Amino acid sequence: MANKVLIIDDDDDLVMTMRLPLEAHGYQVFRAANRQEGLQKVKEVKPDIILLDVMMDSMTAGFEVSRTIRSPDPTSEYAAYREIPIVMITAIHATASLRFAPDKAQLPIDAFVEKPIEPEALLSIVRDHIGKHRP
Amino acid sequence: MAQADPHHADPRSGIGLVEEALIANEAWLISLRWWAGLGVLAATWFTTSFLNLSLSAFAFYAIGLAMLVYNLFLFAILKLRLLVSPRSVKPFKSLALAQISLDWFAMILLIHYSGGVESPAILFFFFHVIIASILHSPRQTYIYSAVAILLVGGMTGLEYAGLLQHHSVMGFADAPMYKNTLYVSGVMAFFISGIFIAAFIASTLNHRLRQGQTEIVKLTDRLQRAYSRLQTLYDGMQALNSTLNLQEVLDRLSRDTAEVMGVRGCSIRLLDKTGERLIDAAAYGLSDSYIRKGDLVLSYNPLAREVLAGKAITVSDVALDDRLQYGTQALEEGIRSILSTRLQGRREVLGMIRVYSTESGHFTEGDVSFLNAIANQGSLAIENAMAFKALEEMDEIKSKFMLMITHELRSPICVVRSLLCTITSGYAGAPTEQQADIIKRALQRVDFLQTLIDDLLDLASGKSEPIDAGTWVDLPLAEAVGRVITRFEMPAKEKRIELKWQCEPSDSPLIVSATNEEIDRILNNIVSNAIKYTPNCGTVTVTLECIEGCAHLKVIDTGIGIPDEAQARLFEEFYRAPNAKAQVKEGTGLGLAITKTLVNRFGGRISVKSKLGEGTEVIVIFPIAVREDPPIRRGG
Repeated sequence: MANKVLIIDDDDDLVMTMRLPLEAHGYQVFRAANRQEGLQKVKEVKPDIILLDVMMDSMTAGFEVSRTIRSPDPTSEYAAYREIPIVMITAIHATASLRFAPDKAQLPIDAFVEKPIEPEALLSIVRDHIGKHRP
Repeated sequence: MAQADPHHADPRSGIGLVEEALIANEAWLISLRWWAGLGVLAATWFTTSFLNLSLSAFAFYAIGLAMLVYNLFLFAILKLRLLVSPRSVKPFKSLALAQISLDWFAMILLIHYSGGVESPAILFFFFHVIIASILHSPRQTYIYSAVAILLVGGMTGLEYAGLLQHHSVMGFADAPMYKNTLYVSGVMAFFISGIFIAAFIASTLNHRLRQGQTEIVKLTDRLQRAYSRLQTLYDGMQALNSTLNLQEVLDRLSRDTAEVMGVRGCSIRLLDKTGERLIDAAAYGLSDSYIRKGDLVLSYNPLAREVLAGKAITVSDVALDDRLQYGTQALEEGIRSILSTRLQGRREVLGMIRVYSTESGHFTEGDVSFLNAIANQGSLAIENAMAFKALEEMDEIKSKFMLMITHELRSPICVVRSLLCTITSGYAGAPTEQQADIIKRALQRVDFLQTLIDDLLDLASGKSEPIDAGTWVDLPLAEAVGRVITRFEMPAKEKRIELKWQCEPSDSPLIVSATNEEIDRILNNIVSNAIKYTPNCGTVTVTLECIEGCAHLKVIDTGIGIPDEAQARLFEEFYRAPNAKAQVKEGTGLGLAITKTLVNRFGGRISVKSKLGEGTEVIVIFPIAVREDPPIRRGG
């Protein structure tokens, strides 16, 4: 069965540049355009990996999505999705993006990638993180 | 302020200079008494051996020995008291009384055995009166004098009446005179008047001397206090000026002021933007509830208005003064008197500083001038810190704005690049050769634009991010350099440039405190420049060594060099040397500006030496991180 990739990003063009190579390599790509839709799709699709944009409807929307999914609260409705790898994608430099992250030391993500991502780099990141469970 | 007590020059020890003098005099008296006792023994021996006088030698030897024995006891007691209770004066006063009493007893025995009223030893009582005046007050000296007269008079009277045996010194006076009424009354009259005159002169002189000494003690004490205040003020101001952090300045100022003035507390209030309210900015020694009682509103507070108009105001009794906005709260806090003065900046009034005492009427004129002096110096420090804070805020706003702008610029470029890459990678069908060429050219332009924006972003974030040393880690610099060298091996090879890397071996690895990304960025910029501006077949040498506790990194190339006039401007933003522009068309002129910002961030320095047409040497000096664990030795 094809691996499912959920892209949470509000930029249609950028989503297209990620979707094309991923689909060409047999991934099943889903897309959400904002925080709310993203969280909903996580439950619906139960993806194998999430590619998450930092700035969407707010400067820190991406951080909030990752915090919600990775919430340590055992009663969290996302408890079942906590192990899904999350790759954060940012248009500004990683260090600069982190300035807006409230608690940067414990940012619950697996990787931080700066845009633009070359198609091959994107594929290799996705390949590396799918199925990789957080310790 | 408490007045200096001359008897307690040092309030901690409880012993003053006058008491110290008493103890010294007692010790001196004991040392004199050794000679006096030995003198009695020697004089007795001499008199009986050579002068052929008949006297009861046994009695004199006994008196002389007794003097030595009780002196030994007095000596032991003095040493013991100094050891056991050096801070209490009372035991030393009773010791002085014991000394004089014993001496006078010995003296009267000496006189008795040497002829009573006929004895020339009677004159020695004058010394005793002088000694008493040194050790005691004039009143006590007169009492001792009266006792001396009573002793001598009593002894003479008893001998005269035949109730006490008279000891004549045969050979000294031919006829016994102790029964001669005229002689006895004459000697006694002269003795009494002489003793009192001696007591008067000696005690008056000593009293004056003591008064002078007391004055000196008082003055010394006042001088010491003034000096200590000035010293504290100076130290405080030094400390204040050593920081530009506004809150730190305010906290230190309130703490130092309360401590140096020896009061319960101190508060600093600053005027708000409306100029209508004085808002709590810092406080020391006051309870939280008192500090948070509320703002001082100028329209309700005539006292604060007067203070801000430039008048230092003392509230001597909080209970009786209705000018205070929060009088009840102050009383509840235990505050009885308050001194307030204005904090005046160079151009405008900044606020008010207040000191609080738990005693009513605590503050003197001296305190007012002192607080004014503190306020004047403190205002300068506060104003400097405020100006710095405003600058920092402006810089922060500017940088955040820059960051947002950059984000907005970068996002579409990233998308364009990604879209073009999707085509070149063939995910949107294979382009023709010409199309591929056009896309390649478009990508090159986009890349340049992206570099420019990236550099701008680095510059903005490098300046705006507060230096957070908490995120720094200990980095072995040689390893970081090694990684960058490896990265540039290929580009160097393409230009047939010899890339040399020399790391001078040292006892411990050169560790710098920094962040990995930023050190990488610094090294990357310097090495890439060296390769970029070195013609084919040149050499780029990277060296790392430890000089005087600092890591010295040098990147030396045999490149095009930098013209003299360009060297001074090299670290300016957007500046590129003319020959560099001619050699490499693309370049933002931001690389070295960013590098310098980052190097400075980690406490380092960067400099450039260059000769046009010969090459360039970039030197970066980093402080070596101080590590708590012992250095690891290389190679065992």
